[in-house]
Amino acid sequence: MNDMRKIERDVDMNDVKISAKGVQVYYGTTHAIKDVDVLIQDKTVTAFIGPSGCGKSTFLRCLNRMNDTIDICRVTGDIRIDGDDIYDKRVDPVQLRAKVGMVFQKPNPFPKSIYDNVAYGPRIHGMAKNKADLDEIVERALRRGAIWDEVKDRLDAPGTGLSGGQQQRLCIARAVATEPEVLLMDEPCSALDPIATGQVEELIDELRNDYSVVIVTHSMQQAARVSQKTAFFHLGNLVEYGETGQIFTNPQDPRTESYISGKIG
Amino acid sequence: MPLSWIVLTVLAIAAAGYVLGRGRALQSAGGDSRKLHSLPSYYGTNVAMKVIVPSLLILLVWLLVQPIVVSRAVVANVPENVVASGSSMGLFMSDVRRVADGLDAAVAQGSLTRKEAFDIRTEFTNVTQRINEAGVALGSAVTPETLRAAQEFRTLNRIGSIAMSVVVALAALGGIAFGLRESVAGFRARNVVEGGVRLLLIGAASIAILTTVGIVLSLIFNTIEFFRIYPAADFFLSLTWQPSFGGGSSLGIWPLLWGTLYISLIALAVAVPIGLFAAIYLSEYASKPVRAIAKPALEILAGIPTIVYGLFALLTVGPILMVVFGDDGVGWMRSATSVMTAGLVMGIMLIPFVSSLSDDIINSVPQAMRDGSYGLGATKSETIRQVILPAALPGIVGAILLAASRAIGETMIVVLGAGAAARLSLNPFEAMTTITAKIVSQLTGDSDFNSPEALVAFALGMTLFVITLGLNVFALYIVRKYREQYE
Ligand SMILES: Nc1ncnc2c1ncn2[C@@H]1O[C@H](COP(=O)(O)OP(=O)(O)O)[C@@H](O)[C@H]1O
Ligand SMILES: [Mg+2]
Repeated sequence: MNDMRKIERDVDMNDVKISAKGVQVYYGTTHAIKDVDVLIQDKTVTAFIGPSGCGKSTFLRCLNRMNDTIDICRVTGDIRIDGDDIYDKRVDPVQLRAKVGMVFQKPNPFPKSIYDNVAYGPRIHGMAKNKADLDEIVERALRRGAIWDEVKDRLDAPGTGLSGGQQQRLCIARAVATEPEVLLMDEPCSALDPIATGQVEELIDELRNDYSVVIVTHSMQQAARVSQKTAFFHLGNLVEYGETGQIFTNPQDPRTESYISGKIG
Repeated sequence: MPLSWIVLTVLAIAAAGYVLGRGRALQSAGGDSRKLHSLPSYYGTNVAMKVIVPSLLILLVWLLVQPIVVSRAVVANVPENVVASGSSMGLFMSDVRRVADGLDAAVAQGSLTRKEAFDIRTEFTNVTQRINEAGVALGSAVTPETLRAAQEFRTLNRIGSIAMSVVVALAALGGIAFGLRESVAGFRARNVVEGGVRLLLIGAASIAILTTVGIVLSLIFNTIEFFRIYPAADFFLSLTWQPSFGGGSSLGIWPLLWGTLYISLIALAVAVPIGLFAAIYLSEYASKPVRAIAKPALEILAGIPTIVYGLFALLTVGPILMVVFGDDGVGWMRSATSVMTAGLVMGIMLIPFVSSLSDDIINSVPQAMRDGSYGLGATKSETIRQVILPAALPGIVGAILLAASRAIGETMIVVLGAGAAARLSLNPFEAMTTITAKIVSQLTGDSDFNSPEALVAFALGMTLFVITLGLNVFALYIVRKYREQYE
């Protein structure tokens, strides 16, 4: 499996973007995340892997406080982005989410035109002074989402009319349009065919130049292909976290090893 | 033999057929039900079906046809001159039927024997009195011709119903014999029963559709009848509504149509914002326990009979409005019944229609849409305004149009709350009336049913029907156009 990522990567190992300490998440009485500590680096793709139900999505959703929208969900612990506690009372979760973009498992474009989909975030955050400004933001986001060439002639067409892979790249462009610093992706390719998956993976690799990307994935090949760091979750615990190459070639924990070799599903 | 006995006999034969058919099929398979094509009960059902369906169909057709045939036969034997001038064959025949019913009733009560009833003569007995004693009221004294025709009517009906019993029984027996012959192991009883079920369902659907068609046709024919005696141009173009039952009425639809639209508009102006906002609160903001109480509470409003709303309009809302807008206040309102009174109350009645449907529709917008919007840093109300409402719009439009057709068709609130004056006015505090309220008042007077003043009710009903149909078609068009764009 390690031969899949032969390309050497120049990882900038220095700055920590997100630091989480002692994070616990409860859904009512279910203890979904148990005392997780993790440091996520800037300009890096970090993959979360693990069997389903182990809490990958839950932990990811802590990072932009999406769990606040679930009534029964309770988060404790300390999560900082650039050293600022995001669960501080003074932090507005709505503002935070503009800074920490999110892409979901199923492409979920709004029932609006392609243009309006991308312009949605910039409009609500007042990022454009005028129409020309907004046009520019939209174009830049669509270029970053690697979908500009495919849609530039039909920006007024509904976003829901695109193919699955195009929709997902549109959603990435939409998330990028608010100029986030961190991009969270929850199984962004699980609803896509292999070709669309390839396009999105290529895009993720490019996004690493500007953002800290955290991606949840079911596919270990995908984690190996796109990430520099990998975290393995099991039953709500963070079992092992380290260099992707390290995790896949030389796992320290027996649970990681059996998951990677296909014994825990 | 009374009808219920015939039906019971058929059912008894069918039940016997079920048991026999099941047994015969099992027997033909040597008692091993696995060798049968279908489960044993299907063979029984098949036989029961073969008994019930043809015999009850015959019964039904017979019941419909016999009165027509008998009447024809009796009419053919009545001499021309018995029908007095100024009367008609129809009136004569209805007398004949009454007398026949009266004789039957007398026999049933035992005041006459069957033979006496048959031999009775106006010359010897006071037939009119005997029949009145039996509890059937007669308008005029029985003449010999009427009595003769009535006797013939009774005889023919008796023969008819005996023949009917025999034919139906024969059909049932034929059915059982045919069904039993089929009940052998290889017969595909299950498929036949499946076909029967299908026919039953098709029958139910066609009855629903045919009834609708029938209603529409009767509307159309009566409307045509109306336009034959009253000029259509006057109906559609005249601006006055002044029925006078002595004739010479002016039956222009505009005052009524205006009243209908004006009241509906006010009702929608009340119901749509309140209902929609209530729906948004319930589906997006309310906590689970609040929702569990508030939603049913709102829906109770839909269960209140409209007459109660009417009383509320008349006794509560009207007087309150009078205090503010009446002569002691602004002076715009002369009586408690007005367009505003009825419109406000009707609006309250419509709130649950709008809110309940909109709530369901908003709830059915996928959670992924909300997540997407929250994930971009949108607030709740931004998400609702820019993502959820546009996605739910077709359904909401449907809910609003449904409420609109309820408003247009509402009667009781208008009768009590809006007054009865047909008037074209812009002042919402004046009394006006609507199409439905006028339909009621045109048909409840004792006018001749063939006068334009009564028949106009059908033309009004037809207009109402066309309006609501148009609304529904329009709603479908909007919904479809929207779907095309976003799916
Ligand atoms: N909205 C929720 N309400 C209650 N329990 C939840 C909810 N979301 C997730 N869980 C529970 O939390 C645990 C972790 O779920 P999740 O984070 O979705 O796992 P993963 O993404 O790794 O498959 C599971 O046991 C799941 O049942
Ligand atoms: Mg998940």
